[in-house]
Amino acid sequence: MEGLVRFLTHLAILTEIYGILALTLNFQFGLTGLANFGHVVFFMLGAYTSTILLLVAHCSFPVALLGAIIVSGIFGFLISIPTSHLKSDYWAISTLAFAEIVRKVFYNENWIVGGGYYRGGAYGIAGIPAPLDHYFSSGMYPFFYLAVTSFFLLAIYLLLEKLTQSPFGRALKGIREEEVLSEALGKDVAVFKMKAMSISGALAGVAGSLYASYMGFVGPDQFMPLVTFVVWAMIVVGGTGSNRGALLGALVIQVFYSSTRYLKDYIPIGADRLASIRMVIIGVLIILTILFMREGLVEEKKKHYKL
Amino acid sequence: MNLIQIIIDSLIRASILCTLGIGLTTVYDILKFANFAHVELAVAAAYIGFFFNVTLGWNIFISAIIAIILTGLMGIVFDQTIFKRLRSVNPVITMIASFGLAIALRNGFRAIWGPRPKTFAIGLQKPILFLGARITMVQILLLGITVASIIILHLFLHRTKLGKSLRATSDNPNLAQARGISTETTIKWTWFIAGALAGLAGILYGLETQIEPDMGFALIIPVFCATILGGLGNPYGAMLGALALGLAENFGIYFNFGQIINLGGLLHLIGPLWIPTAYKSTIAFSILIIILLARPRGILGRKIRKE
Repeated sequence: MEGLVRFLTHLAILTEIYGILALTLNFQFGLTGLANFGHVVFFMLGAYTSTILLLVAHCSFPVALLGAIIVSGIFGFLISIPTSHLKSDYWAISTLAFAEIVRKVFYNENWIVGGGYYRGGAYGIAGIPAPLDHYFSSGMYPFFYLAVTSFFLLAIYLLLEKLTQSPFGRALKGIREEEVLSEALGKDVAVFKMKAMSISGALAGVAGSLYASYMGFVGPDQFMPLVTFVVWAMIVVGGTGSNRGALLGALVIQVFYSSTRYLKDYIPIGADRLASIRMVIIGVLIILTILFMREGLVEEKKKHYKL
Repeated sequence: MNLIQIIIDSLIRASILCTLGIGLTTVYDILKFANFAHVELAVAAAYIGFFFNVTLGWNIFISAIIAIILTGLMGIVFDQTIFKRLRSVNPVITMIASFGLAIALRNGFRAIWGPRPKTFAIGLQKPILFLGARITMVQILLLGITVASIIILHLFLHRTKLGKSLRATSDNPNLAQARGISTETTIKWTWFIAGALAGLAGILYGLETQIEPDMGFALIIPVFCATILGGLGNPYGAMLGALALGLAENFGIYFNFGQIINLGGLLHLIGPLWIPTAYKSTIAFSILIIILLARPRGILGRKIRKE
């Protein structure tokens, strides 16, 4: 029983962290129409910035979190610059390349995290402190951390929901539907895209910071392009354009992803093969959703005006 | 490092990128979406070839031909089951579906054949010395087959009725249809040719190195880079782009950039400056981003036609 509670808490924390990633990717693609295939880069920059501030600069957790928000926000701004003159598919390919370049830098350079033998670079960094952990017993701490992640998830959800319904959000939807028309109506499309990418990048950095302190370890293998793909699966299955859909998608995919891990105790398949089959199913799920249920589980709320 | 050796290495790399790039670019030309699953067809061919060659013990040439035909047919099957239903939707949605297909295929290979590298039953290759450089028989064959298939493709596109109708459809599908060319038949042939060429690339790559489930992902960005470099949608551009990228990747790590800053030895500002070998794979990624920023339609890019 205790094991089950522990597992469910772990699952809830991971779902909430991925929920933040799904919400922010939905803000980019579902709302603004920017197909970002390198979303993991914000997660990675958030996690590494937070880790460096905590371990190398010995800052407190709020400072580390703020640093993660600033660095990934700036990166969001930087990769939004080419969107103004690039076709969406070209941009998608370049974001994939951007994320891999950043990962390669963390993979090869261990001085970034202060150097040392078997530390940083490909080895990753362990011993990342978690906030306020000496106030709780090790059995109680996950519940506290769940409260922390829930707080941030709720705050980000409310903020993005507010933005979606604001004139700013309507302008983004306008850009998604008819870019030229938005421009004709006097909207500076490039600036709107830059704002959308900076905001969602900064908020995705929060997920990275929370993840690093929860796991206590970051390494380049945690930020493979596969992570981006899992987040995409969440928003496609949940329904693009809807914040609630993104959250539901995060829950469905994360529950499927984590719980099938334990199937190996019941069916005679190796863990490695099971992991591959799990990804095959997620891939097929994306295709089936796009083919037969394009709106996803939760449809975007759309107002229809009668002429 | 010997200059001839670097050129030979560049040409081998360019051959693989070129055979893959032609298929990617022709599918993009006719269907207007970036197919992320394209390189997975190459991996499929390598594994199918491995199955016939090693598991069943058949001759390598017969195995290769079967694999190439099967991947060509796989191209048609994927189009009929997935992409045909998405002809009229936003190309970004089609691109995401192809991304889902790519992940499903890649993990499918891993589930069936496992993560460990496999090799064809061709024995160890003894290199021949050629102007002080080393080249194996397989590599000579690889270069020969690539050149031959480029010539055959060129003759096919310009001398046969089917090739001409393919070019007509890519140029103006409505006009081609008005002249009695069936768009759907042309699309089927495009998929078959693209799939078969990808299959050829996969077999050649597998013969030259090893067969791994992740080899598709390692190739996807370089192939996109080569095709965008030459202008996405243009098969001759893909050939040129592949050659340029092959040379850039191999010369990049042997080139002393310190010489440029020191103006070829006139100044002594800095010591030797090399691109570290660990970053060889990021050369393609960086070129891709620079090209997209500076010249998004590529070197041989077509002028945009007003609709």
